[in-house]
Formats: sequence, C-alpha cells, structure tokens
Amino acid sequence: MTQTATLDLGNGESDLIGRIKTTFARRTEGRAVVLLIIVSIWALIWESTVFTAYEVTLGRLALIGLTAVGLTAVILMGELDLSIASILAVSGVVMASFDNVFLGIAVSLTIGLVIGAVNAFFVVVVGINSFIATLGMLFFLRGMAFVISDEEPVVMANKDFALDFGKPLIGEFTPRVLIFVLAFIAMHVFLTRVRVGREFYAVGGNREAARDAGIPVRRRVFTGFMISGFVAAAAGIIVTLQLTAADPTAGGNALLTSFAAAIVGGILLNGGRGSVLGTLLGAASLAILQVGMTFNGVESDVQNIIIGLVLFFAVITDPNSIRAVLGSARTFFRGRSAPDPAD
Amino acid sequence: MTVESTVEVGETPEPADPEVGVEQQDFNALEWVSQQGVFVFTALLLIFAGIFIDGFASVDNITDVFNRAAPIGIVAVGMTFVVISANYLDLSVVAQVATSAVLLIAVSNSYNMLLGMALGLLVAIVYGIVNGVAVGVFRANAVIVTLSTTFVGLGLLRWASGGSIYFGDPDGVIATFGSTEIGPFPLAMLVLILVTLAMHFVLTNTTFGFLVKSFGSNRHATRLAGVNTPLVVIGAFTVCAFGAMLGGWVLAAFSNTAVSSMSAGFDFEALAAIIVGGTSVFGGKGSVLRTLLGVVFVSALTNIMVLSGYGFGYQQMAIGALIVLAVSVDALARKVGRS
Repeated sequence: MTQTATLDLGNGESDLIGRIKTTFARRTEGRAVVLLIIVSIWALIWESTVFTAYEVTLGRLALIGLTAVGLTAVILMGELDLSIASILAVSGVVMASFDNVFLGIAVSLTIGLVIGAVNAFFVVVVGINSFIATLGMLFFLRGMAFVISDEEPVVMANKDFALDFGKPLIGEFTPRVLIFVLAFIAMHVFLTRVRVGREFYAVGGNREAARDAGIPVRRRVFTGFMISGFVAAAAGIIVTLQLTAADPTAGGNALLTSFAAAIVGGILLNGGRGSVLGTLLGAASLAILQVGMTFNGVESDVQNIIIGLVLFFAVITDPNSIRAVLGSARTFFRGRSAPDPAD
Repeated sequence: MTVESTVEVGETPEPADPEVGVEQQDFNALEWVSQQGVFVFTALLLIFAGIFIDGFASVDNITDVFNRAAPIGIVAVGMTFVVISANYLDLSVVAQVATSAVLLIAVSNSYNMLLGMALGLLVAIVYGIVNGVAVGVFRANAVIVTLSTTFVGLGLLRWASGGSIYFGDPDGVIATFGSTEIGPFPLAMLVLILVTLAMHFVLTNTTFGFLVKSFGSNRHATRLAGVNTPLVVIGAFTVCAFGAMLGGWVLAAFSNTAVSSMSAGFDFEALAAIIVGGTSVFGGKGSVLRTLLGVVFVSALTNIMVLSGYGFGYQQMAIGALIVLAVSVDALARKVGRS
C-alpha cells in the first residue's frame, strides 16, 4: 500500500480515490482475493471444520501451492510448463525405487532439474512453443513413470522415514508445510529482491527489450524451467512420502490445481505481471475449497468440475481477455474498428 | 537429387551455384523432412513391419489396426482445423469422445438411438461454442481452456454415469455397424475416409476453410481484412467437436460398449498424427489428407509396439517423443529458412 502511494505519478490523483485506483491498477491479485473471500465465507458458514482442522487445510495448501510456486517462475516469463504433472509422477516413482531414502531424494531432485533443462532446451534452442514442447514431455514422462514402475504403485522400502515425515516438526507444523513456507519465502525474495528474479519480469514483459538491455534471456528461461522442474520433483517426493508409495498415475489433478492457483492468483499468461503472493492466495482459496468440499462429502468428480470451472473462468477473466472482449464489444456497438489490444 | 525434385514449395529457386547451394540444401533437407518425410517414413515403417514383425501383415491384425485407427483418425481429422488455425490443439476431445459414446449407447438402451445421436450433436455444439468463444472472443490460451473443459466435461460425465460401463444391444444397429467388415476393412474405416474427404473439401474449397488457414498464418492481417475472426475460431473448434462426436460413435460401435474412461490418450495420439502428417503447430499450413497419413503412421507404430511386447508406458513415451521430434524438425526448418 505505502509502496504504491509513493509511486504516485503526480497526475493530480493524490486523493484517496486516486490512490485506491492506482493500487488496484497495479496489483494483480484481485481475483484471488475475491475468490478467497467468497470461499472463506462459504467455508465459515457451511463447513467450519476447514478452519478447526487447519492442519489438513495447510497440508493441502502446501501441496497445491508448491507446484504452483514453481510454475509461477515459468509463467512470469510468458512460458508454460505442462510437464510438471509427469515430473511429479516420475520423481515419486524414482524416489520410491531406492532403498536409501536420501539417495532417492537426491536422484529425484536431480531428475527434476534435468527435465527442466531439457524443456528449456526445446523452448529456447530449438524454438518450439513451450505449450507443445512441455505437452510432448508430459506424455513422454508419463510413459516413463509407467515403464519405471512396471505400471504398479511402488511401495517405499523405508516406511518409518515417511511416517516421521508426517509428524509435526515445529509446533503444529509438519515438514511438508515448512518446506512450502520456505519455498514460498525463497521465491518471493528471489522475484522481488534478487536481480536474476527481477529480470524474469523483464523477460516476460518484452523479450526483445530485455535482450537489448543485456539480460541473458536464454539463461533466464533455463533457470525458470529448472526451478519449475525442481519444485515439481520436490512435490512428487512429498506426495510419495505422504502415501508411503509412489503412484505412476499421479499428477493429473496437480496440473489442474496448480495452473488454477497461478492463474487465479493473477500471473499473466503472456508473462511479465504477477506475484508469488497472488499464487499463494490462489492456492489458499483452492485448498479451502477442496478441503471444504471433501469434508462436505462432495464427490471427487464434482470437485473436478468445480475446480475446472474456476480455472476456466480465471483464464477468461485475464486482463488481456477482458480488454479483448471490451474491444470487440466496442467495435460491435459503435461499428468502427478498435485497435486490436492483444496483438 | 530426389530431395529437390519432390519439394513442393516453389518459392526457393533451385541453386544454380553449388557454393550457395550448401545452405539451401540444408534448408531443403529439414523442410523436406517436415513436409514430405511422412510419406517415406510411413512406407519404411510398413515395409519394416511387414518383413520383421510376426503377425503384422495378417488380415486379422490389419482389421484390428483399422478398427483402432478409425476413431482416432476421425478425431484427428477434425482437430486438424484447430491446429491449422494456430490454436495449438483441443485437449477436451478426450471428454467429447467419451461423452458422445456414452450418450449413444446409454440413450439407445433406454430411449432410442436417434435421440442419443441428437444429444451427442447438441453436446458437440456446446463444446465447440464454449471452447471457441473462450479462445476466439476472450483470446484465452487454448491449452489452458481445453484443459479446464476436459476436467469439467469428464467430471460431468463420470458424475452422471457413475463411472459405469454401458453395454449396447448385441443385435442392435450399433452392434451391426461395429461388426460389419468389407474384406479386411471395417465399416468404420469407410466412415473415416468419407469424413476425411468431406473435411478436405471444407478446408480447400470453402471460404471457411480458407479463413481458417489465413487466420492461422496471420491472425492480425485476417482481422484487418474485415473478417469476423472470433467466428472462424468458433467454427474451427466446432468442426473439431463434430469430429470428436463421430469418433465417439465409431468407438462405441466397435466394442458395443461405452465407459467414461474409454477415450484416454485420444488427445495426444490425434495430435501426434496431425503433427507427424506435416501440419504445422505454428498454424496456417497443413492438410486433412496428411493427417490421415499421420494416423496410419501412428497406428502402425502403436500396433508394432503392441506386437513386439512393449506396453502402454513405452507407447506413451514413443508418441511423446514423436510429437517433440516432429515439432522440432518443423521449428528448425523455419529457423534455417529465415536465416
């Protein structure tokens, strides 16, 4: 708030309404805040167990939020990483195949980094659209998870470690939640205070300009995809530890929820705008929604419908989409062509 | 060289000077692989399989390949319109195929077949309009939009059907259609060929087809030319939805059963067929007939893998790698072409 007040452009709007206007124009988290408020009110009235059993909600938030935070780094640069769903499955299966848990975790995280680098290679060096490149990887890696696991869930050898992982570590917080909090803080600091992270916004906003300004665009895209791959691998490990077994079909819902969290959170799909805070708010509202529906006995199919609708409406209420629709409406009513906002 | 004689794009002049020709040759090679490669690769794959894979060339197996290829092919032919219009792909065909299959069998059992078909048509129109409006009017990303409609659609279908399997009447029209064969060719193959010819006609001989191509190659110019571009996008997604609907009917007829999970993998097998056929994911370039060839390639490849004992996982890996590889060749050909 204070930040936006000091950034007043001095065009006479120094009154309260003007400040509020600029704040709203600058922030991207609006939809996430609205959804969070609606969902919280719904949960307070009909399903208050969401808040009394907050460790369940926090656990769900940690799961949705972790992959979404990784995804944020990629979307900020105007790219997409659809392969996270399969990275999650592959890393879980690989981790569970090792008898030594720590070796398994190390190998899985390395695999996540390598897959991220491969994705970035296809996007940056070969020049394929990231949607198609990571879609191909999504199918390829899903197949790989099936091949490694022999199409069966892989049970962990060291179950005690997995059970310890589920116990509270500091106060009420389980390691899972603490990892998420750490990841969130690290990402927030990285994107707002570290130069490399700030440059992500420049790459997403205008790639040519970023290149002209001397930003190593290719290296930044590599960094982004590797962050997303690494974080997805970590999420796969956490899911596996939670279930004490790795499911090769895991990740389908993670794809939906993490995209929904990031897009509701206001990360512009064309890149350059958004904040991890928005992703956190988006993930929190989805976590409350999901846990609330589960406690309420809503079937998983209906949950998918609702989360799918949230994603659908989030993606069509993107600022660019709204501008496109308003532009077409203006053309339609006034009968003259407006400049095309999206091109 | 045969390489140069088969290049269709007449804009690149034949290099008279051998020194200039080195780079031109390079450009031609990649362009050629991405455009004409599918003919050679398909022929090589079929010859290889015929000689080395036991049981590939048998009549039973070929009928089986056709039965599997027909629904995927019909879906892929429809989705070609979406890809040519530079909207990447329609992931929601998975939900569309399963919905139309379940509607056909379930409604035929309790009411009558025509009502089931009418409902399927209605669902297809709804999918086409919803996806098309979100992508065309709202300019939303097609991958994310169709990802969300997949989850909504499959969720609705599973919720409504309870995930149960519907068995059709063993003596009904659907079962008869599914089991009729003309020589080694199932009737479904005839449907695929008819649909392909019809779609080919639409793409090459109608204004709509022309606009889809023109929108795919330059949406800005198409819009400035006064074309109602959102309608073109809605049209492309609706054609895709019709393809998915027909694919669902053929799929249901083949096994005379329908279940919400029966279309798993249709999205990427169709995409692989389209891209391998030489339709560019960058839009504006491609043909329905090429997609048909791509379907032959992908189906033969999956069949060879099944016959050689490679399971579902390996097939997914192969198709995923195929998509990335084919797009890479296309992208590199464009890169070399530009420089």
